[in-house]
Amino acid sequence: MTGGFEAFRQWLQALAAGGYLPPSLGYGFAVNALLAGLIAGPMLGFLGTLVVVKRHAFFSEAVGHAALTGVAIGILAGEPYTSPYGSLFGYCLIFGFALNYLRHRTGLSPDTLIGVFLSMSLALGASVLLVLAGRINVHILENVLFGSILTVSGTDITILAIIGLIVVTMTAVFFNRFMLASFNPMLASVRGIPVKVLDYAFVILVTIVTVACVKIIGAVLVGALLVIPAAGARIVSKSLKGFVALSTGFALVATIAGILVPMETDLPVPSGAAIILAAGCLFIACAVLRTLIPSMRGESQ
Amino acid sequence: MTEMAPRGPAILFEDVSLTLGRTTILSDVSLRVQAGRIHGLIGPNGGGKSSLIRCLLGRAPHGGRIGIEWPAKAGIVGYVPQALDFDRGLPMTVMDFMAAIVTSRPAFLSPKASTKQVILGALAQVGMQDRAYRRMGALSGGERQRVMLAQALMPAPDLVVLDEPMAALDREGAAVFEQVILDLRRKGVTIFWVEHDLDAVRRLADEVTGLSRTVLFGGSPDHVLTSEQVLNLFSHRAGALS
Repeated sequence: MTGGFEAFRQWLQALAAGGYLPPSLGYGFAVNALLAGLIAGPMLGFLGTLVVVKRHAFFSEAVGHAALTGVAIGILAGEPYTSPYGSLFGYCLIFGFALNYLRHRTGLSPDTLIGVFLSMSLALGASVLLVLAGRINVHILENVLFGSILTVSGTDITILAIIGLIVVTMTAVFFNRFMLASFNPMLASVRGIPVKVLDYAFVILVTIVTVACVKIIGAVLVGALLVIPAAGARIVSKSLKGFVALSTGFALVATIAGILVPMETDLPVPSGAAIILAAGCLFIACAVLRTLIPSMRGESQ
Repeated sequence: MTEMAPRGPAILFEDVSLTLGRTTILSDVSLRVQAGRIHGLIGPNGGGKSSLIRCLLGRAPHGGRIGIEWPAKAGIVGYVPQALDFDRGLPMTVMDFMAAIVTSRPAFLSPKASTKQVILGALAQVGMQDRAYRRMGALSGGERQRVMLAQALMPAPDLVVLDEPMAALDREGAAVFEQVILDLRRKGVTIFWVEHDLDAVRRLADEVTGLSRTVLFGGSPDHVLTSEQVLNLFSHRAGALS
């Protein structure tokens, strides 16, 4: 798989050298970043439709922000600075599971509970970072938190491709069940859908994509790419088909633009920030289109 | 018009109780729903009607026993909830929603022609076939309720559990609803129906139970729905039992 990938990368670099692709793709690291983006973008855009359907935007953002603490704990525990995957995955999973568990038992609304957890998690993260500041140069963490195109390796792309395949398959296969379980758990249950299992499965999916996309988009911003493309698609679509297609497309375009534009224009912007800004521009364009074109506002209530 | 032999089950509730925290929701509820009959369940708000349905459908940790006595092997249960909790602006058409209910093929892909026919058939039964491509959020409350009734007809059910299905229906919707449940009864389907509209229960139900935390009365609507019983039911304070 790695050999095939190497050949593909060299082919893209040759095309860039020949003037058929943007010149920045003449660099190996840039091709790596673009390939990672081509996998991560559509995957996040696709899963993001479920985030919006289930009204879990704040939850996904919170899991992304929990990554900050996960990264800090990992480095404190001796994991590598550039890829503290173990603690990142472990902490985000515990965060998501605990939230889900308490949501069913406290009677608090999800936004209140997420607010409590997010604040506690950030406070813990800030404390650990302060301890770390005495030991390492914390600026190294910026790459993990906000994404960097310099750090993506062939192995990262292979892992991302495998996770992408799992997440996209799970999302597609269980799409209807995830949706119905959020609309009416009892109706879903009568239809034989294991509502609680799916609740936790969704937490796992969000956690996996957060961890997988940490290098290219950054731990803090990955939640945004789960929400913004789907939010833009939601306001201009008229059916689920259009919603899913547009969300996936928006996320793909934003990721490619966020990686290529700063390189081509020599902008010193982290890839994660550029990707989210590109997605934000698409969202604003959708909002403006909906305002200007009456037929996009859908049928009257 | 002849009625078919019951294909639906009888349901037996024996001393069913439900306590959440320190609140007793249901206490010693015992009743029998006859196979192939329409059984109405009435009572005041907070009297435990929806909770009893939650117990029946296995979504509440109740005490006592609930037995569903199927004539042969376990059949298909259709459920019509009071409401769906979804984002009204979601770009989901009625067809998308029905496809998500009836098939595991992702609802964002167009359903197969055969699935589409099944869905349009169910929508036609509730007079909603011309709304198949409208957004769910753009439907009126009554139209959405009709869609909920249509989904319970796919696949053909043997037991239908309805939780206040007429709450949002207009006159036309109510007529469609009555037609559908009478058709189901003719086919021998058992119908367990929570309802607040006493006139509708009087017209359609074969049996009715008055529930306010416990069973206050049960029997044929003509016999038990007297002004005195109804007044007693709706003025009954469930807390007075404790």
